[in-house]
Amino acid sequence: MTIGALREARLLGTDLRAGLRAGGAPAARRIRRLLRADAVLLADLDGPVARHGTLPAGSDTDALLAEVYEHGTALRRPPLCAAPLIVAGDLSGCLVAAGDLGEEDLGEVARLVAEHLDHAGLRTARVRIAAADLRTLRAQISPHFLHNALAVIAAHIRSDPARARGLLTDFADYLRYSFSTQGDYATVAEELQATQTYLELQRARFDDRLDITVRMAPEILPVAVPFLVVQPIVENAVRHGLERKAGRGHISVSGVGEGPFVVIEVEDDGVGMDPALARAVLAGGGPPARGVGLANVDQRLRAVYGPEHGLLIETAPDSGTKVIIRVPRFMRGVVAE
Amino acid sequence: MTGLLAIGFLIAASLAIGVYGVRAARTTPDFLVASRRVGGGWNAMAIAGEYVSAASVLGLAGLLLKDGIGTMWYAVGFTAGYVAVAALVAGPMRRSGAFTVPDFAEYRLASTGVRRLCGLVVLVIMWLYLVPQFKGAGVVLQLVSGTPYWVGVVLAGLVVSGSIAMGGMRSATYVQAFHYLVKLAFIAVPAVFLVVRAGAETRARALEPVTVPDGWSRPLLDIGDAGYPLLSTWSVLLATTLGAVGLPHVVMRFHTSASARAARRVAVMVIALLGVFYLFPVVYGLFGRVLTPHLVHQGATDTVAVVLPGEVAPGTLGGLLTALVAAGAFAAFLSTSSGLLLALAGGLSHDLFGSGLSRLRLAVAAGAFVAVLLSLPAAHVDINVMVGWAFAVAASTFCPLLVLGIWWPRLTLPGAVCGLVVGGVSATGAALASVAGTYASGLLTVLLAQPAAWTVPLAFATMVGVSLRWGSPPEGATRAVLRLHAP
Repeated sequence: MTIGALREARLLGTDLRAGLRAGGAPAARRIRRLLRADAVLLADLDGPVARHGTLPAGSDTDALLAEVYEHGTALRRPPLCAAPLIVAGDLSGCLVAAGDLGEEDLGEVARLVAEHLDHAGLRTARVRIAAADLRTLRAQISPHFLHNALAVIAAHIRSDPARARGLLTDFADYLRYSFSTQGDYATVAEELQATQTYLELQRARFDDRLDITVRMAPEILPVAVPFLVVQPIVENAVRHGLERKAGRGHISVSGVGEGPFVVIEVEDDGVGMDPALARAVLAGGGPPARGVGLANVDQRLRAVYGPEHGLLIETAPDSGTKVIIRVPRFMRGVVAE
Repeated sequence: MTGLLAIGFLIAASLAIGVYGVRAARTTPDFLVASRRVGGGWNAMAIAGEYVSAASVLGLAGLLLKDGIGTMWYAVGFTAGYVAVAALVAGPMRRSGAFTVPDFAEYRLASTGVRRLCGLVVLVIMWLYLVPQFKGAGVVLQLVSGTPYWVGVVLAGLVVSGSIAMGGMRSATYVQAFHYLVKLAFIAVPAVFLVVRAGAETRARALEPVTVPDGWSRPLLDIGDAGYPLLSTWSVLLATTLGAVGLPHVVMRFHTSASARAARRVAVMVIALLGVFYLFPVVYGLFGRVLTPHLVHQGATDTVAVVLPGEVAPGTLGGLLTALVAAGAFAAFLSTSSGLLLALAGGLSHDLFGSGLSRLRLAVAAGAFVAVLLSLPAAHVDINVMVGWAFAVAASTFCPLLVLGIWWPRLTLPGAVCGLVVGGVSATGAALASVAGTYASGLLTVLLAQPAAWTVPLAFATMVGVSLRWGSPPEGATRAVLRLHAP
């Protein structure tokens, strides 16, 4: 019996996943069954949104709702009973039921519905936060990088004008890609292009003591992946792996297809890090200097492809870092515009 | 011995290309530009390489020797299939972004259930297709090294699953393209040699065979001498042409093209590559009729391409040429089976039971194991006939799904599911019934042995009929279809 009630409560949450307007109808049906009421009506502040069962003839729901919204408390106008939905402290709707039922029961169910609506709100907020994070990531080309890139181009202008010109074009391409606002997905080829322009600029700054290898199976180039997933990883490898290392550094970006999956690996032979630190960085903790890059990429991959497709980091102090992305080649809804 | 060496060398080379052959470049522009420009040609060769299976290298020549020149309709159908592919599915498939047929089904019908069903159909087609490949490998190994048939089959299973596990297909495009060249060279060189060495008299006899059974030189196929040559020919043509549209591992390759336009162009290139290739099995078949007619009585016609060079030039040269053909056949076997096995494993792990790399490896092993088990009793079924069944099932299931899914916005979920089930069950059932027994009625024999003539229309009719009657097109169907055709 208890388990059954819990199950109903959980399913009510599933109904209300996308809010009262989207899931009101099944929720009303479930609440009516739960309360054994003759009829159930769910309303938000704009008026009724869903009803199940037939309300007694002549019942003036509009007046009832207005009264509830005015006082913000439960009301009893036999045969109707109404309880406000108070989501996160704000009055945001009303639950009306008809039939022989206790005021306590109705209040309890109303609180449950409010709780679920709160969760639905949080869920949409989470999506919004992820989108905002992506915007941050796009806007977050570090001022250091901008300064360094321009400085290195300036340094080449007299000594090697052709190279300076090439670098400037790279810089422009890079900026355009990072600032582009359309679409959440890009092809692997586009991601790679952005990564390569970034690496070219970094290489010039490192005075060519940075070796770059790109190995990519052609069959994965047209695959769509979330926007800006490879470049932040490469940036992380350069900033935290290679910048602190003396002497030459090597970074390799490789991609292959493995059956229905695409595997992209970014490997550097820099200073590496403590695996515990890597874990903390992915979890969003760690020192702020490590930036939001890796954690954000990890989060977005999980959000798009499911929890088993997050980033994989293989690392140890002084033995380089290898970051692996493994995602399905096709996922419904993932399309590069 | 030479044969074994040649095969060993081939496997080593394929593995090396597979593991290290991913295009390496230091800087952006050359890398991306190169991969875009070279892409089309390589991709076409890769498709042809994967497609030209043991069926084409061994089976076609063998069946030609046995059943007569009407067999060439198989080659026509195998090639013509790409006309249908280029015209109907290559571009839209590329635009959909779907990698496999189950992906496409999910994209178009917005249901994960239909994805599972498609995964199941993938398994059936791939196993039907894998068995003749393994049989080919077993037969060739038996010929060049004298080991029993089952040893060859088991070894083949181990080699293919092992090479996939070692990452041998990580750069599938280059491995498959390499295999196309190997196959073409290894089948063409001995064939040209045959023609030159055989002498004028044999050449004349090959073109005008006299000691052949009735109907051998008739340009129509007559399955099992059932007396319905026209029906048989149409049925085979329908199966092979439309089957190519629905073969899961073929559809996958178009995902590699940079754009829909490129995908179509690749399909056209494939037609040319296949056209060149299929000239050569004919040479073996015609000469086999003159030089090795005894193979027909031994029921070993699938070996004709390997046996022939030795007949014409005994000694070292013949041995060398035999080794070449054997290696070519093995390349055919290796490339096709790896492609098939990967598609099968993808279906098994990705579509049927949640994803994950460890599951993929497990699925490769399981898929190869089942294929080996099925191949052991298949020693006496003609390679080409089995391949024909794989095509027939593909033509009766995925071909209607893809064609209607792409070109008919009103296709509904119940319609697609019913069509898939009806087409799959009828085609597979007919093939099984055909192996299980012999039938007195000639018409029945043909309809069971080559079922495409009735299963394909049946599947199309079911999909259309049920779609019109039940259910409504899934939400967003119009947009999904529009996307497939938007430039």
